Amino acid sequence: MKAGGTRRDHTGLLFVLPFLTAYIVMLIYPLLRGMALSLQRVDLFGGGRFIGLVNYTRLFADETFLRSILATFALALMIVPLLTVLALALALALNRATKGAAIFRGVFFSSSVLSVTIVTLIWRFVLAPDAGLLGETAQALGAEPIPFLSHPTWSLWALAITTIWWSIGLPMMLFLAGLQQIPGDVYEAAALDRASRWTTLRRVTLPALKRTVVLVIMLQTAAQLQIFGQAQLLTGGGPGGATRTMVLFIFESAFARWELGYATAAAEVLFLLIVLLTLTQYVTTMRGSEGDGGR
Amino acid sequence: MSAGADQRTELYLQRFFGECGAHYGTATDVSKVEGECGIITAMINKFNANNPDVKVSSNVVAWPGYPQLSAQMAAKDPPDLVTMHTGVISDYAAEGLLEPVEPYLAEAGLSPSALTEASRSAVTIGGKLYGLPFDTHGGLFHINTKLFAQAGLMKGGKPVLPTSPEEMMLQAKQFTERTGKPYLIQSLVGDNAYAARNVYTYLLAQNAVLFPTPKTIRLQTLEAERIVDFFRTITASGVSTRNQDTPAAIGSFMSGEGGIYPTGTWMIGQFEAEANTPGRPLFHAYTVYPYPRLWGAEVSYVSGHAWVVPKRERTPEQRRAIARFFRFIAEHNFDWTRTGHLPAFQAVVESPAFKALPHRINIAPIATTGRPLPGGVQRQNAIEGLVGEEIAAAFNGQKATKQALADAERRVNELLAQTD
Amino acid sequence: MVAADFSPSRARWSPLTLVAILLAAFVMLAPLIWTLLLSLKENAALVGNSGAALSPPYTLENYRSILQGNQVFRWLINSLIVSGGTTLGVLALCSLAGYGFARLEFPFRRTLFIFVLLGLAIPEQAVILPQHQLFADLRLHNSYPGLILPGLAGPFGVFFMTQYMRAIPKELDEAAMLDGASRLRLFWKVILPLTMPAQATLGVFTFLASWNAYWWPLISATRSDMYTLTVGLAAAQMNYAQTSGLGFLMAQAVFASIPIFIVYILFQKHIVRAMSGAAAK
Repeated sequence: MKAGGTRRDHTGLLFVLPFLTAYIVMLIYPLLRGMALSLQRVDLFGGGRFIGLVNYTRLFADETFLRSILATFALALMIVPLLTVLALALALALNRATKGAAIFRGVFFSSSVLSVTIVTLIWRFVLAPDAGLLGETAQALGAEPIPFLSHPTWSLWALAITTIWWSIGLPMMLFLAGLQQIPGDVYEAAALDRASRWTTLRRVTLPALKRTVVLVIMLQTAAQLQIFGQAQLLTGGGPGGATRTMVLFIFESAFARWELGYATAAAEVLFLLIVLLTLTQYVTTMRGSEGDGGR
Repeated sequence: MSAGADQRTELYLQRFFGECGAHYGTATDVSKVEGECGIITAMINKFNANNPDVKVSSNVVAWPGYPQLSAQMAAKDPPDLVTMHTGVISDYAAEGLLEPVEPYLAEAGLSPSALTEASRSAVTIGGKLYGLPFDTHGGLFHINTKLFAQAGLMKGGKPVLPTSPEEMMLQAKQFTERTGKPYLIQSLVGDNAYAARNVYTYLLAQNAVLFPTPKTIRLQTLEAERIVDFFRTITASGVSTRNQDTPAAIGSFMSGEGGIYPTGTWMIGQFEAEANTPGRPLFHAYTVYPYPRLWGAEVSYVSGHAWVVPKRERTPEQRRAIARFFRFIAEHNFDWTRTGHLPAFQAVVESPAFKALPHRINIAPIATTGRPLPGGVQRQNAIEGLVGEEIAAAFNGQKATKQALADAERRVNELLAQTD
Repeated sequence: MVAADFSPSRARWSPLTLVAILLAAFVMLAPLIWTLLLSLKENAALVGNSGAALSPPYTLENYRSILQGNQVFRWLINSLIVSGGTTLGVLALCSLAGYGFARLEFPFRRTLFIFVLLGLAIPEQAVILPQHQLFADLRLHNSYPGLILPGLAGPFGVFFMTQYMRAIPKELDEAAMLDGASRLRLFWKVILPLTMPAQATLGVFTFLASWNAYWWPLISATRSDMYTLTVGLAAAQMNYAQTSGLGFLMAQAVFASIPIFIVYILFQKHIVRAMSGAAAK
């Protein structure tokens, strides 16, 4: 369990020091400062006095906040499973050396390079019932356009669809990378056994991809629980707060209502939820199969 | 950039009203452009051209821009001049974030008594002026007269507007039957200001006490229920659009797809331009009136835009430049009213040029019937957001009227309880 | 080990698979094509009728307006500086730290590594408000450092580089040390070149994440000459633009996406290969 260097000196410390400084100043210190803020009644422009857990008790009595938790989880549930399955399917289909596969890989990753502002702009003009591509198509076919941006449930789907379209590239790439690390002889053995493609997929490919699947789900869950730009730009949290995500709630509390302490408390709740959820996912799926500290 | 390369005094200006540099980036002839965005862009271009020793850089923010302004103030780096709704000024003034503007007015040779009563009182807090009023604005019914004629709702060249909710419903049904198009174009999506404006206007009309104290709102009243129930019913009865946001509603009205678009004074200029362009659906088919009286008295909820000066360190040159900008803005108040907004200066109200602008006779009553929210109420922008969000959900049938009013009341009161 | 370049499974798709792939590709591309078509229409033709985009006439007028001078240039350059700066910074800090944690022995090494790993659990959003205060105290808002620095604190890169550097045989160090090379020289001449695939992967992730960042630039870059593309286009897409300037707005969006698309197409092969992470020659 020894690291490469055998000399025991402080050179190593010098190598890690630049990062540690950035890490402590810009992540750990703000984290602690945030925890302190969450226990104060303080507005955006300063002041502040200690009020204990009042911000937290207020939060859990605040229907708007509780609804934002529900909306955030609903979105994560709509996005993560679909995104994982679609990305896996695409990776399986495109995991070959042909020119066509390369082109399609490019197509499916292309949306990932766009910024959230452009993505939501594009999708507004796809989804809007009156001005969007889908609306125009529906009207041309004589159908009633779906109220994607004005119905509480449909507007959640609007965010989910937009997000899946936007973020399919990365998980697909991760799955492709995972597929390439499966040694070829495993497949040869399966071929010798005359296993059907389905059986090969179930018995060989998927188990070998387990780590990647868990990784994708954990990364995506953490990412989607922090969904912000899409909700702010595409639906503005509406209609009637149906798509107000937790991060949008935090943003509004801080910068529209100036309640910095309250907003920070909400951010701490989000932090806790993400830690609990990803930890649960990790523990339940990876129990016993890993060593210490990622070694 | 080397020091001394640019000797000009820099003023950092932040505004909403939209970004249209691509169309009007070099325009300096204010009389030749249309719409809020075009006119403000041309005005600032002209100021820069007339004042070679001053450089005003514009920062255009997404409407209404307050989160961004708040972030700047929290970072202690606010702009020199900012557009602000008059209802919001008291928040920032109470936090000590704004400078009183009397010194600038004095330097610019502007007397507060030259302002209209409405605009002066809108920027006055505790006896001090905290902004240079730019306009008074409120909600209006923008009307497609061609469709109104087709629906048999024109009389003597004027649209027939309802005088009661029952009448409005009947006229709406008649309109939609005869034209096959919605009577009302409502932006009920992502436009909290619209729903709030309707409720404010008709509550003020019924003389209901919306704010018993500056720290409490009262919305669970029969007066409020009446209003919300009516808009909920009319929205549900197939005579109104339901899924439009503001851009969609504007587009819809400009394409002649509905009878009435209730929105603000700020659209007059742009719609009038459409009405004067042959071949456009609104060509010779546009007029505009205040919100009709449906309950109580004839009253409109109004607000205003003002230019405020956030507190920060400034050089004497910058202070003089701000005064010059104020003077310029005051001198060009008429140009700004071409957007549709009502003047901030009494002299402009009385000027023949203003009276000669189209439709201004129709909307002139707002000058006397306009009412703002009580000035002592803080967080008016946030309150409008909360009230509008709940009420829009009720208009749209997504929430029961009583529930929406109760939720709006509770949320606003919780917010106000947190202000100091 | 040699990189296996997409060798497994048969090279042909079944008709059903092909149809599914084509359908998915259509869903992927249709919004992009729609945007392109909208950007090629005269603004007035789209008022209240975006369906007009599906039929000619088309025009390049909107793109000409952009070239005539528009802030979108400035925003594009800001985005490139911020994303490029963040990427270089992350690669430098994480490579150094990764080397230290993976291959050197020093007091509290293990403790410090776990301390850094714990940071993986801290979501950006949980610290952004105090970060905003901190940067206000340091007067760093509306500056490039203000936009770049918060991106350097994330521990993922350190974790990633540490893992990668552990896999490099330690005999390499020992041989070089016998030759009397200094630690820094060894790191720079021997180890760093071996980690190029990992650098590429981490670089791509970091660049994209930074390119797409929204909340931090929204509250930190509040002056339009410091806007990144993400924030600038958000400010530009207002009611006016969406009705009377839709074509122009879409042209801005397309124009703003062209550079990153070019980068992507040029580096596509490397991106895919980099992500396989196993290409140690």
